[in-house]
Amino acid sequence: MIRKKDKVFKALLPLLLVLPLLLTGCWNNRELTDLNIVAGLGLDRTDDGRILLTVQVAEPGAIQSSSSGSGGGGGEKSKPVFVASNEGETVFDALRGMLAVVDKKLFFSAAQVLILGERLAQDGIEEVLDFFQRDHEVSYLMDVLVAKGATPDEILRMESDIDDIPAVYIQGTVENNISRGTVKKTMFIDLVKAVDCRGRQPAIGQISKSGDKEIRTEGLAVFKGGKLVGWLDPFETRGYLFARNKVQSAIINVPVDEGKVSLEIMKSKGSVSVAIESNEPSSLIVSVEAEANVGGYEAKGRIDSPESLYMLEEKLGEEIKKEIAMALERCQKEYASDIFGFGTYLYKYQLQCWKKVEKDWNDVFKRLPVEIRVDAKISRVGIVRNPLRKGE
Amino acid sequence: MEKTRISSIQLFMLLSGFLFGSTVILAPAAGAKKDAWLAMIIGGAGGGLLMLVYAAIASLNPSKTLVDILREKMGYVIGNILAVLYIWYFIHLASLVFRDFGEFICTVTFPETPITVVIGFFALAFVYGVNGGVEVMGRMSELLVPVVPVVAFIISLSLITVSDFTAFLPILENGMPPVLNAAFSYITFPFGETVAFLMLFPHLNRKEKLKKTVIVSAIAATVLSIIIFFRDISVLGSELMSRATFISHLTALLFPGFNVDPLLDINLLIGGGVKSAVCVYAATRALSQVAGIEDFSKLTSAVTTFCVVLSVWEYNNVLEILDWTEKVWPYYAIPFQIIIPLVLLFLSLWRKNKPSKVKA
Repeated sequence: MIRKKDKVFKALLPLLLVLPLLLTGCWNNRELTDLNIVAGLGLDRTDDGRILLTVQVAEPGAIQSSSSGSGGGGGEKSKPVFVASNEGETVFDALRGMLAVVDKKLFFSAAQVLILGERLAQDGIEEVLDFFQRDHEVSYLMDVLVAKGATPDEILRMESDIDDIPAVYIQGTVENNISRGTVKKTMFIDLVKAVDCRGRQPAIGQISKSGDKEIRTEGLAVFKGGKLVGWLDPFETRGYLFARNKVQSAIINVPVDEGKVSLEIMKSKGSVSVAIESNEPSSLIVSVEAEANVGGYEAKGRIDSPESLYMLEEKLGEEIKKEIAMALERCQKEYASDIFGFGTYLYKYQLQCWKKVEKDWNDVFKRLPVEIRVDAKISRVGIVRNPLRKGE
Repeated sequence: MEKTRISSIQLFMLLSGFLFGSTVILAPAAGAKKDAWLAMIIGGAGGGLLMLVYAAIASLNPSKTLVDILREKMGYVIGNILAVLYIWYFIHLASLVFRDFGEFICTVTFPETPITVVIGFFALAFVYGVNGGVEVMGRMSELLVPVVPVVAFIISLSLITVSDFTAFLPILENGMPPVLNAAFSYITFPFGETVAFLMLFPHLNRKEKLKKTVIVSAIAATVLSIIIFFRDISVLGSELMSRATFISHLTALLFPGFNVDPLLDINLLIGGGVKSAVCVYAATRALSQVAGIEDFSKLTSAVTTFCVVLSVWEYNNVLEILDWTEKVWPYYAIPFQIIIPLVLLFLSLWRKNKPSKVKA
């Protein structure tokens, strides 16, 4: 009996050994060369309310040849990217419909940026975000930006000299926000969370054209109820980021002694809260603690005593306060949109009070007085102390 | 009866793997939203107690399986009928685990592979493992289950920088009722499901350690679930968490740099593997005892095949599964998980005390 089993096994063994050769990959395997790797996405609405989707596709082969080829102006080499756009009823429809224009299947997991058009943003973004959340290929970590003064299509079609792939270039400038603090880096997951979040309105970084070949990522798009209501300029954006504890580094210029001093923020800690009086919100409080170094002293005075630093600290505090106040003023008076998350603070820590004001929070937020507390500190002055000066 | 033995460590690993099983993908106590951690603490305590009841039944009836106990306490006919119902329950449970698993793989990892293929291959490995008997399952879990918390910790630690640690506030926004509801469903899924272990407890080599093992594994599973809950809510926020189909997967997507989904799949394979192996084993053993067949391994492939078919049939879509797990399952499971075991415990205590009264 056992021997018979052994015999059968031996007879089957070659077959078993051959089978793995056929099972070497997934049956729906696709080679890299059969894919169009999407680097950037643009989303806008046309005049008749349809979705206009733009993709920027990177060609790995072309990038390799352009970087390895001798730099002597390769002439008419194949371009590293191509851009295609298509209209559709829904996002997914536009996407699949694009295969009528593009030869290979589009692959999304490597997308770096998603640019939303101004028009689309004004009509509301909540619905169009659904596809990106649902699809298993889309990366939740891609950066989202709102285009100002140009359509996403125009921005994605720009050919920059700075990087072969414009989407990577755009993403790089957003990443630089770590050291400048003038645009909000909004990853897709942040945006989804912000829309979900109770008592806070979403805000997304802004992108615009700067000349024919460059883009500029600076500023902030303010939303309210899923619709774009306005913009903040770079300084207001920085004020907003200070309050939201998102500033990692920034250069702040302080007017001093007939000149300007550039202070480099090294550390910053911001928080928002709401003061309560008899179970009613009485004022909005922003508190920021910032630590800075002297980065450049382009003025007439000297820094050789602690007192001069105290004076700078005071001015730095005022400057930060001014930026926060500007941002708050605009969000309260002009947009009535609580992008700072004062409502979230109430919801989390003062539930009873929040339940009372939840329904008309936008109006309550609009009329509440503001208190901004900034504690600025300057600890170091760099390699030299006094500025360069002839004589004396 | 099978003469194989497992150590208390192996039983601990089996129990923890079982408790952790599908909870890797279907978040338990999700009904309580932000307060799920409270529900987990309450439910974990209740679940630990329930598992103690099972352990007590097992130690009052040493070296007897669930079928033996049922027959002895309820009489041959009623005992056999209940045993058949339990066999159905274990098979159903195994098929649910198969389906959860297949659904996850088909949503996340292989969206274009038919679910039957996924579940079928999964089941093939099982028949082999279960046929090896309880000892093989014990050793397998000893080797694999420790991987589960390690993976959970790796993912948690790497996401610590993007976390918002106040996301679980405010506490008790909607009051106690949803929390208690969720706590109850947390008792029935997964703790009450360990009733299947009544078929395994007789194999433990040192009986006196049974209760301790059971309690420790209940605590371990609860703590791990709470850690995972806090990780998920602080990364995703409660609203997104309640919208996500598979919460852990969405969290893993946020892992910066590369794709850690396979790690999650491994967790699922281990947890779901232990769970369905135990269920299939329990069903097969019970069936062989009821039918009077000596060698249970002859039945394994038949039972597993049935589970696979059932798992493909029982739901039409993914939302039915989530709905069922949350709304129907807790009540469907009450007789099997709570009522019959309590009756058995009562009968065991009563029968045990009666002779001692006579003696006195």
